[in-house]
Amino acid sequence: MIEPACFPFVDADPTQPRVSLTPLMALTLTHGKREVAVPGLLDTGASVNVLPYSIGEQLGFVWERQRTAIVLSGNLARLQARGIVVSATVASFAPVRLAFAWTQTDNIRLILGQANFFMEFDVCFFRARTEFEVKPKTAG
Amino acid sequence: MSLVELLPSIQALPRSEKFLLVQELVAELAQEEGLAEGEYPVWSPYDAHEAAATLLQLLEQDKVEAA
Repeated sequence: MIEPACFPFVDADPTQPRVSLTPLMALTLTHGKREVAVPGLLDTGASVNVLPYSIGEQLGFVWERQRTAIVLSGNLARLQARGIVVSATVASFAPVRLAFAWTQTDNIRLILGQANFFMEFDVCFFRARTEFEVKPKTAG
Repeated sequence: MSLVELLPSIQALPRSEKFLLVQELVAELAQEEGLAEGEYPVWSPYDAHEAAATLLQLLEQDKVEAA
């Protein structure tokens, strides 16, 4: 049985301790020979994973070459997005393929949403003790 | 000028200008209601089910190409 990795909630705004506690988790994204370590926001309400523009660039993606258009919602709806697939490593678990809506903004965090982060990982939130656990899915 | 007279002109606007018009109207209504004290953008893509379906198709293609 795989033991979960435990992560602390992080104060996203140091001027607002406790109320700004946020489930941010470090992960490493790989595309070809390029690798980027970045914090991701675990957002159970998000339908999809979302990648900020500069992270996609650091991974070597070229906007004009990405042909899969993605239509997002909320404030992101006014921005263009393209679908891309990368390898992602969380803690010491085996890498998984994650699909992202790569957006033309850096005004957002990297968002880990239902498709397909939460399809690949089982997550338990313990907000009262300000931590959460993540492990690879056990079914499906 | 009535809404009925305005509607054809509004419908002829480009998509981006329709968004701007909606934002303008919402801001004006919020101000009238006393709700314009702050801006609270929601970046999370809630209910973006079509986007999710497209990404899952992309993952399937990726799986086929890797095989």
